Amino acid sequence: MAVSAIVAVSGACRREGPGSGTKPPIEALVSSLRAEPRTFNRYAGRDSVLEIVTLLTQARLVRIDRRSQEVEPWLAESWATSADGLTCTLKLRQGVTFSDGAPFTSADVVFAFRAIYDERTGSALGDSMRVGGKPLAVSAPDASTVVVRFPSVFGPGIRLLDNLAILPRHKLEGALNAGTLSKAWDLATPPSEIVGLGPFVLKAYQPGQRLVFERNPRYWRTDARGQRLPVLDRLTLEIVPDQNAELVGLQTGQIDFAQSEVRPEDYATLRRAADHGKLSLLDLGVGLDADSFWLNLRPNRPATAKRPWLLRTELRRAISHAVDRRSFAETVFLGAAVPVYGPITPGNQRWYSPDLPRFDYDVAASRRLLAGLGLADRDGDAVLEDRAGATAGFTIVTQKGNTALERGAAFIAEDLRKAGLAVEVAPLDVGALIDRIERGAYDAVYYRFLTTDLDPALNIDLWISSGSAHVWNPSQAKPATDWEREIDRLMARQVAALDPAERKALFDQVQRIVAEQLPMIQFAAPRIYVATSTRVVNATPALLRPVILWNPDTLGVR
Amino acid sequence: MVRYLARRVIAAAVLVAVVSSGALLLTRLAPGDFASELFGSGATAESIARERARYGLGRPLGAQYLDWLGRAARLDFGVSLVYHRPVIELVRQRAANTSILALAALLLATAIGLPAGIITGSRRRGFLPSVIRGLSVVLLSLPSLITSLVLVLVAARTQWFPTGGMQSAGAWDAGTLAGLADFARHLPLPSLAIALPLAAMIERVQSQSMDDVLTMPFALSTLARGVPRRRLIWRDALRPSIGPVAAIYGFVLGSLLSGSFVVEVITAWPGLGRLMYDALRARDLYLVAGCAAAGSLFLAAGSLLSDLVQAWADPRLRQREAGDPTGATT
Amino acid sequence: MRTLAAAALALIAIAALAAPWLAPNDPGETFRAFLFAPPMRPHVIAPDGSWRRPFVHPLRLASRLEQRYEEDVSHPVPLRFFAGGKLARLADDSRGPWLPLGADREGRDLLARLLFGARTSLGLAVLATLAALLIGAMAGGFAGYRGGFVDEAIMRLAEFVLVLPAVYVVLVLRSALPLVMPSWAVFSLMAGIFALVGWPWVARAVRTVVATERTRDYAAAAVSLGAGPGRVLFGHLLPACRGLLGVQAILLLPSFILAEATLSYVGLGFPDTVPSWGSMLHQASDVNAIADFPWTLAPAAAIFAVTLAANLLVEKSSRVL
Repeated sequence: MAVSAIVAVSGACRREGPGSGTKPPIEALVSSLRAEPRTFNRYAGRDSVLEIVTLLTQARLVRIDRRSQEVEPWLAESWATSADGLTCTLKLRQGVTFSDGAPFTSADVVFAFRAIYDERTGSALGDSMRVGGKPLAVSAPDASTVVVRFPSVFGPGIRLLDNLAILPRHKLEGALNAGTLSKAWDLATPPSEIVGLGPFVLKAYQPGQRLVFERNPRYWRTDARGQRLPVLDRLTLEIVPDQNAELVGLQTGQIDFAQSEVRPEDYATLRRAADHGKLSLLDLGVGLDADSFWLNLRPNRPATAKRPWLLRTELRRAISHAVDRRSFAETVFLGAAVPVYGPITPGNQRWYSPDLPRFDYDVAASRRLLAGLGLADRDGDAVLEDRAGATAGFTIVTQKGNTALERGAAFIAEDLRKAGLAVEVAPLDVGALIDRIERGAYDAVYYRFLTTDLDPALNIDLWISSGSAHVWNPSQAKPATDWEREIDRLMARQVAALDPAERKALFDQVQRIVAEQLPMIQFAAPRIYVATSTRVVNATPALLRPVILWNPDTLGVR
Repeated sequence: MVRYLARRVIAAAVLVAVVSSGALLLTRLAPGDFASELFGSGATAESIARERARYGLGRPLGAQYLDWLGRAARLDFGVSLVYHRPVIELVRQRAANTSILALAALLLATAIGLPAGIITGSRRRGFLPSVIRGLSVVLLSLPSLITSLVLVLVAARTQWFPTGGMQSAGAWDAGTLAGLADFARHLPLPSLAIALPLAAMIERVQSQSMDDVLTMPFALSTLARGVPRRRLIWRDALRPSIGPVAAIYGFVLGSLLSGSFVVEVITAWPGLGRLMYDALRARDLYLVAGCAAAGSLFLAAGSLLSDLVQAWADPRLRQREAGDPTGATT
Repeated sequence: MRTLAAAALALIAIAALAAPWLAPNDPGETFRAFLFAPPMRPHVIAPDGSWRRPFVHPLRLASRLEQRYEEDVSHPVPLRFFAGGKLARLADDSRGPWLPLGADREGRDLLARLLFGARTSLGLAVLATLAALLIGAMAGGFAGYRGGFVDEAIMRLAEFVLVLPAVYVVLVLRSALPLVMPSWAVFSLMAGIFALVGWPWVARAVRTVVATERTRDYAAAAVSLGAGPGRVLFGHLLPACRGLLGVQAILLLPSFILAEATLSYVGLGFPDTVPSWGSMLHQASDVNAIADFPWTLAPAAAIFAVTLAANLLVEKSSRVL
């Protein structure tokens, strides 16, 4: 594979600066951000730019290797879990200091938990760091030991700690006590105040233009040969709001790599640049996120009172049968995709279940199912009508301006029209789209959720009927259908199980129910390509965003 | 004159108030709000609700608006929801960047458009006027989106200019001169993207007006007196013909100062238009209102400037507006 | 020149009317195997150098991900004229469709979309321009003639409209309107919005001219001869603005064609099944597409042709007067 080949040449990293003579040689790379930073305080915000800034300037207790999906020691060098699975004792690394020289101790960890659970902080991180809605209890028996106690048995266990960046207590405790932590470390904070345990420190923020990071000389990590990390002296993140401009930057070498994967329509351009030796284009295989189509299954909508067949499983199966997934992959993703039949793609190797029921392309089967719902062409216009004589159709809303989504929705509508359903597409801008999804004011949606974590227990809100991300019918007081009740039951066991094999088996059952009931229908998952300039060495691209910067400390310059 | 100016300033203040209020109310009424983007990022419904409460997004429209209006009257435009910074500070920062771009683009457009318009307006036939006319039609019929993309593409292929941004990282480290030189290299791309269609517009308006003036009796009599045609065009006819351009000039300046979001987004210029665009996308309503206030202030000022320049170009108007604001007598 | 311009405009109008006959394919039909296919021009000289009846070389996909196609010169397909209700079509379309101007990113015939789009875009732009000119000339003329408070009020209103962030209005409108609207509703809504946004430009220019002209001798003479304000305004002052109105029309017309693209971006555009130049242009505004698939800029060329022709026409007519 291309990726492993690139990793293999990592030893070839030399210290060599672009400037000659007068200035000392420095190793510097340039990457891009599509949006402005909003805050530098990980406890106050949750946008993707903040996530990147945090990855560069801060560290957490344990880290999930985004490629192997294994937990690896980070600020905690070892840990032990109690027999009941409820308590985890972590040993912190010795001699670690923040970028301003202050020592890192267990008090910083205790502070971090206190900060995110504080009501006045209102931290979104506090929500994701809960198990069954209850916070974790943390204590520090001595300066280098931390004990984390889960409120109930939690399958993913210590993986949860990958989310929690440990910010400096000595800089932020005052703000926490004053109840102003959510406003601390805003964009006007002098960069020298923003200290951390990460490989880089923020050197400058030029609004609307860039963030400049320089190496943190006190960073604690060394590479396999004992060399101090990070390799880079400077990393610049240029703020490039337009995707076209970002692409041009990659082609001209003004940007060494981006934060996201290559869009299918940009592949040809970048392939040419790669052929000219300007870029390396890496194929990471099948991605984690398939675009999802779902019908609104909320009960008691006026639309479903008139068209009750909209809620029927048979309709969803008929839709799945009606769409030619192979052609879909070729048209919507220009061939750089594989057909998929469920939300967990083959790219998610740990949780993917290959032998699930499939309702594959079969227009005749689709028409039979539709006929079973009482939908038939009663007036000979090649469009189906229901028993009341009303035209059988619905509107798919999708996100305006996202070419893959717009193209995908148009494709689905066209194939459904061939099956006799009168389907329209209404592309909406993001705000209007999400507003409609939240209010449930739609028939069908075609949208893409970005996976943030592969473990289903950490995406529990999608699976269980009371979850707010259970998009087709969110926040149910009690499960609306038997199959949703069954999923709730299985997921409750899945979250509380400790044995990985048992957790996998339970989640396979959930996937089977989903594949039969099709609350969400997936058609294709794109192949992921990542482009970097040929200057970059030792990049370790992963399927999750940020594709390169998740592992910034070993990045080097050729 | 003083009375006239005072009246215009009051009108401008009303305009700014109405536009920024309108922007605030419309952003508030538009579907989605600041907390919407949390959706799909794994936030629970409770935390979205909490976020809304924290920023006062769920308050009744009237109360929220009156509160804002009261503070805005004291020039406090509130705090941006996204950046947690005072709106006025963010706007000031970006407006400075935009004004550099606006002035450069306007100078460029005038330097190209005005002489071009005089040439096409004074000569009906000939190779040069036809070429200019054709070019300006091309530029007028291309949307700024395409013009900027083509310019970016040209810059990328030729490597003559950087494809975006305002300054390179660390440009000022090597001294003021190097910093300015770097700045000058970044300016042509975005200013051309704005100036090209603008130059075409100025050319069209000036051409028509020059043509109108040259058919007036005074022009014919001047020619008949034996004044060379060249002198008639560039000296005697220029001042009376400049009115229509002046009428749009200040206005154009105002709208340039309020920022062109297409050009600023594509060429990554950190200006007011992009701030407004980002604020709008994030539904940061106080920042949207602040940007709208700044934009309408610039427009009002530009329109005043327009009228003053026009009065200068046509003394009859000056007399009427300054001396007799009611216009009852002529 | 003027006749030429008029002829060109007439030709474009006829082409728009005859779209179903001229376009070889349906504008909504997607040829999934032909995304971004290049133009297929008719040939009359065979590879061996001999003359033949017009024919085309069908396309063969060379690389899907790179959207590269090759001409299959071994199997020329002749064109058949005046058959099946079309000007020209392939004698045998089993080897793929005929795409004279190539295909867009969804594999639809660009020529067909251009021809059908002309109906929507030109109709909308002309209607909106006329409405904006009418409102603008009335408001501007009235303001310039009366002066004083009326002048002040109208001009401040015009300024307000000019600085109004129209995109927000549209966003709010969008949320209040049904998700899918019939195309006639979209059409009239857009024409209304354009007219409302466009009139201040006209009004400002007209006001300037009228305010100047009314002090001239002929206007004073008309007043002293007993002409009423309406007569002076409509009979004498507004006709003086004719050249100016022409220029304004030329500035508004293409900007309305383009504005339609912007509106479709915020979600108030025509549904995808109704082709229009603005939305085609919006689709083409992508660095890759401009560099690799220049034929997708065909709507820009069409807008240019219309603008140029209208320009020449108006310029000459204002000279004649």
